[in-house]
Amino acid sequence: MAQLTYLEAIRQGIWEEMERDPTVFCLGEDIGIYGGAFKVTDGFIGRFGAERVIDTPIAESAIVGAAFGASLTGMRPVAEFQFMDFIPCAMNQISNMVAKTHYLWGAPAPLVLRGPSGGYVHGGPFHSQNPEMWFVHNPGLKVICPATPYDAKGLIKAAIRDNNPCIFFEHKYLYRRIKGEVPSEDYVVPIGKANIVREGSNLSIITYAAMVHSALEAAEVLKNDGIDVEILDLRTVSPLDREAIAATVRKTNKVIILHEHSRTGGLAGEIAAMINEEAFDSLDGPIVRITGLDSAVPFSPPQEEFFLPKVSEIVNEARKLKAY
Amino acid sequence: MAIKKKSGSKASSNGNRTVNKAHTNGNRNSSLRQYEIPDYRLEHPNFSVHQVRKGDEMRYEVTGDLDTPVPPIRDSKYLDKKQCIEIYRYMLLNRRMETALENLYKQGKVVGGVYFGLGQEACSCASAYALDKDDWFAPMIRNQGSLLVRGFRASDTMMQYMAKAGSPTKGRDGTSHFGDIEKRNMVSPISMLGDLIPVMSGVALGARLQGRDVAVLTYIGDGGQSTGVTYEGINFAAVQNLGLVLIVESNEWAYSTPSEMQFKCTDLAERAIGYGIPGVIVDGTDACQVYDATREAVERAHRGEGATMIEAKMMRMKGHAIHDAATYVPKPLFDFWKRRDPIARFENYLVRETKWLSAKENADLIAEVEKIIEAEREIAVNSPMPTPESALGGVYCEDGCHAIKPKYGMPKVRKGSGGFKETEAAVHLK
Repeated sequence: MAQLTYLEAIRQGIWEEMERDPTVFCLGEDIGIYGGAFKVTDGFIGRFGAERVIDTPIAESAIVGAAFGASLTGMRPVAEFQFMDFIPCAMNQISNMVAKTHYLWGAPAPLVLRGPSGGYVHGGPFHSQNPEMWFVHNPGLKVICPATPYDAKGLIKAAIRDNNPCIFFEHKYLYRRIKGEVPSEDYVVPIGKANIVREGSNLSIITYAAMVHSALEAAEVLKNDGIDVEILDLRTVSPLDREAIAATVRKTNKVIILHEHSRTGGLAGEIAAMINEEAFDSLDGPIVRITGLDSAVPFSPPQEEFFLPKVSEIVNEARKLKAY
Repeated sequence: MAIKKKSGSKASSNGNRTVNKAHTNGNRNSSLRQYEIPDYRLEHPNFSVHQVRKGDEMRYEVTGDLDTPVPPIRDSKYLDKKQCIEIYRYMLLNRRMETALENLYKQGKVVGGVYFGLGQEACSCASAYALDKDDWFAPMIRNQGSLLVRGFRASDTMMQYMAKAGSPTKGRDGTSHFGDIEKRNMVSPISMLGDLIPVMSGVALGARLQGRDVAVLTYIGDGGQSTGVTYEGINFAAVQNLGLVLIVESNEWAYSTPSEMQFKCTDLAERAIGYGIPGVIVDGTDACQVYDATREAVERAHRGEGATMIEAKMMRMKGHAIHDAATYVPKPLFDFWKRRDPIARFENYLVRETKWLSAKENADLIAEVEKIIEAEREIAVNSPMPTPESALGGVYCEDGCHAIKPKYGMPKVRKGSGGFKETEAAVHLK
């Protein structure tokens, strides 16, 4: 198996889908000859042509609208947001047009909206956000946040093949920092299925995307304390894998929910409520949240570091919870 | 058309260079600047609406020339007798259906409000009539006549208004908010204005990738065109040379705001210049003008020549919806446009000018339309309300729910030899 970066895995996934299915095409800003701000579509225009790799005006509503319109004719568009921070520019198209179309008038919208999100790269308040919750609270969308090259490739392929609008958040901190084994043969990772990335017995950390790696690092530290941590990587944040969440709580009885975006109205609140409904009797301690702060993501490295969840914070919270 | 035909130059020295014409069409040499806004109208109304103070009250007043004679219908370059009568019949159906809806509302059978296209029937019906079967369209709230032309039944719209189980959305939405991508190529509108423009452009893009140049028609009002997504959508269609046919329904009022407070240019069609696409002005109360301009735009789209904007001038002859008595509209303005009622004008043209309809044939036609609407009303009224539980399901397209396949055939793809290579290029933010 080849070792690929997270970015290359996504690139290869889209490339293979375009080779496999003539109805797949890409559109977005600077994705053609330039190859995209992060080079996810580098080389695509040469291979697939300007018809299938379309450089658009800087107009996010037009990009989503056009992707949706093309999907109504049976195409499978993959639209790139240069940064997911810009996705609210197209909010009405996504929320009122695309997400509601199947429920209201029975028209499927098989399209993918993808792009980089997340902090830890000093991108400042408009290039570091994790806006996935706006879409989790929006029935009709599937929201995908992979953590590993294997999952990133398998999930982008699954998203392109899915008959529903999928929003695919790529974590830009992971793009070239992590490598992993990716099979050369065709495979997909099912949307809506979480994955235990580390088995453990003392407590569970429920998380996704870049935070999976922080949790793994914390787990190694905690192992020396004799704390055996289980890590559940959600992979898809909408629809959530209720069964997997309940199962890990029933197994370890203690749970930390870890995410990068702001705390209030964040995914941890939703998962806590879900645990309350599914596995309340299994809890042996309070549900702990480790999240970003309730502010914009600040620019200066010391401030950004303070804003974002840290491995030391996970270690401390885990020790307290174990002792509870 | 741009991309598909690959009509760009074959380069000499190093292989088969193709030029993507979508990005090279249009001459950017400004010394050749030349603009023209064809205007089909036989009159040029000259008045404007202002806010005025009367004591402690503010209201709208119209000033200008409001006593000009009603112009004749402009003979169509394309429509024959049979087609004119067919459009007239759709206009009658449109108006009678809305009268029936008004009555249903008064009987308490409508959930929510009723929106009317009174005074705009020529624009809705004649524009939709100019489309071919394979073309696509998306109505706005007042284009209930367009739905009839495209083959939906009056009972479909009535059931939508009554939130019935038998409605096209099975009760999940009302008004003209429904669609059909299988047979009638109609995209459902949403309440937000302008969002259909990039969507319809995307429909044209999808069809073009499948080797077909279709026309995609939608509407926007003088109010709706103020939205940012309108700009984004038209610009996208223009840059990509897509067959958008945008009817700008310039109907004087956006809810209660006059067009003078919506835009500063003289005619909205002028905005086409800024997009680099043709703009045309028609009298929106003249079915022949609307048809001719739309037909020409549709044919441009079929030839792959890109988007066209058609501004249709008329007036919304009722309030925004049934609750709104439109008391803010100055009476002389109502009177001016009442004399230009599109159905009365077309009737006069068919019965007295061309004599294509005898008085008896006209009376028979009206009676037939009334009979149809009564039957449709019965169907709609007798449809049950949906069960509460029918609110469930359908949020996602599940396995086996829809087969997704290209509507016009599998896209042709570039045969390439370039295999996948890893990229090492510099990136934005590491």
